[in-house]
Amino acid sequence: MKTLQRFGYPIFFVSMALLPHLLNSRWQAVAITFLIFAIVALSQDIILGKSGMFNMGQALFFGIGAYTTAILNSVYGWPLLATIPLAILIPAIFGVILAGPIVHLRGDYLLVVTIGFNIVFVQVVQNNLGGITGGPNGIFGLDAMSFFGIQLASQISVYYFAFAVLLLTLWVMRNLEGSKAGRALHYLREDQLAAESIGINTRIYKIFAFALGAGIAGLAGTVFATQYAAVSPEAFDFIQSVLFFSIVIVGGSSVPGVLIGVFVMFVLPEIFREFATWRFFIFGFAMIAAMILRPRGIIPASFGKIPKFLIKDSNYGG
Amino acid sequence: MDTFFQQLANGLTIGSMFALVALGYTMVYGVMRLINFAHGDMVAASAFVGLTIYTQVMGQATSLIAVIAIFLLSAVAMAIVGVILERLAYRPLREAPRLSAVVSALGASLVIQNGIMLIWGPQMRIFPELVPQVYWDLGGVVISLIQVIILALSLILMVALYLFVEKTRMGAAIRASSIDQDAARLMGINVNSVIALIFIIGSSLGAVGGLFIGLYYRGITFNMGWQYGLYAFVAAIIGGIGNIPGAMLGGMMLGLFNAFIAGYVSSTWSDAFTFILLIAILIVRPTGILGERVAEKV
Repeated sequence: MKTLQRFGYPIFFVSMALLPHLLNSRWQAVAITFLIFAIVALSQDIILGKSGMFNMGQALFFGIGAYTTAILNSVYGWPLLATIPLAILIPAIFGVILAGPIVHLRGDYLLVVTIGFNIVFVQVVQNNLGGITGGPNGIFGLDAMSFFGIQLASQISVYYFAFAVLLLTLWVMRNLEGSKAGRALHYLREDQLAAESIGINTRIYKIFAFALGAGIAGLAGTVFATQYAAVSPEAFDFIQSVLFFSIVIVGGSSVPGVLIGVFVMFVLPEIFREFATWRFFIFGFAMIAAMILRPRGIIPASFGKIPKFLIKDSNYGG
Repeated sequence: MDTFFQQLANGLTIGSMFALVALGYTMVYGVMRLINFAHGDMVAASAFVGLTIYTQVMGQATSLIAVIAIFLLSAVAMAIVGVILERLAYRPLREAPRLSAVVSALGASLVIQNGIMLIWGPQMRIFPELVPQVYWDLGGVVISLIQVIILALSLILMVALYLFVEKTRMGAAIRASSIDQDAARLMGINVNSVIALIFIIGSSLGAVGGLFIGLYYRGITFNMGWQYGLYAFVAAIIGGIGNIPGAMLGGMMLGLFNAFIAGYVSSTWSDAFTFILLIAILIVRPTGILGERVAEKV
């Protein structure tokens, strides 16, 4: 892991920074998709991997962010980038409101309830509640990205926008790990009872994790709306949540693991287009095989500054 | 009042299908503490297998014996799939972290769902009319023969399952394994066979549920398993996960609830209301109406 951190990350960041200049526009679009889904998967990792809450509705927050941007742009004429604060804040508030009554639920109950939230969201936007979500077709024809009047319509600028958001997400996650909140989340994931007994307010921290994960996913939603100039309900279907959930667990809740997961799930199908209909059939087998061969994920995360011998063997408490 | 009784009849029909499928979830969860996400897709697969048996094996016959044979063969096929599924995807992960088994179950679900698509195609198929279209008009409330058969057969199966679990030695082994697997093993119960048995029973009940879905709704699609599976799992939670009478009660309640929402509000909001009901019940009774009965893995 040490070598990977010393050399792997700089090489990854530099090549990602140069990447769009080496690709044609189709592959630029694929690269942007990779970045967007990587951000969402990492935000899912904050809730599921780092805090141990079985959240299977991450596409909900992704969707709320994307719809916030789309509605503010199409109905109220806000520039896309100006919607960022609200596209973070509104999903985060939803995270607090929705997580509040349910965070005490045990794993599998939480999982089903979060699936439920996701399904309800899709139904709400499909039924065009309030007449602003565009119904089953969604909202399309959003403006191009601009910065104080300067048009940034090219795909390369969208790519760098997405890349900046990814870097921001990684920075937030790195700081989280070293912070009081991050340690608290780690302890409560490992052993909630012990965490409570040493005075950690588990409820507050769990809601905090939901709000943080939701806010980042919401920001990814803004990038999504910018890239496609459109949002539609099926992009935030709960099947997407299932994929994000699986990516985090198969990846082992570590940054490289999650990025590999996103690459395999969303970029490989673009490379092997002729296998499109076989995609999920093969992925299903791959998920089973990955879990049997490496039950703790492809690249299991190790927690920051805690000595190895203090880390309990099972990474996910029951 | 006509709407009320009509939706009561519809709700009991849908509810008994939910209950049959929910039993598969709740029995597996009771012993293994695992949401068998592939169960819903096996229910869907059963409808397609039934369709193929009808066209290829039975030569499109709709005699009583042919119909019974379709049900039995589909149930046996799904029982075999269930045992293979447990052996390949779940048994190697019994000691692994919980979430690994969940992802394996999701993987199995994708495999079965897309397996159906690769074999039978992505388009909707029409399930054969195995039961004659007979309707009775009871003073404004229309009840079909299919509804009567679904309700009656489901009740018979559920009573039989209840008696099996409560009154037989094998049933006692199932109950013991869901209370404490290790203690059950120490008492000489072969937990592996109990789990295999649970997958046989759960999958064949699910298979019957899948054929009922085909008979009742007629249109079957490869991805319908998620929809019905999720509803059935919600039903199992509402009744109290791991609790066999709870799954029956939860299924019936959810079916009636859905029918009344469709009758009095709008069917376009049924998902939203279903999950609002689930959340409300979990807030009031966190372990479901009849309480959960599961082995607590520590």
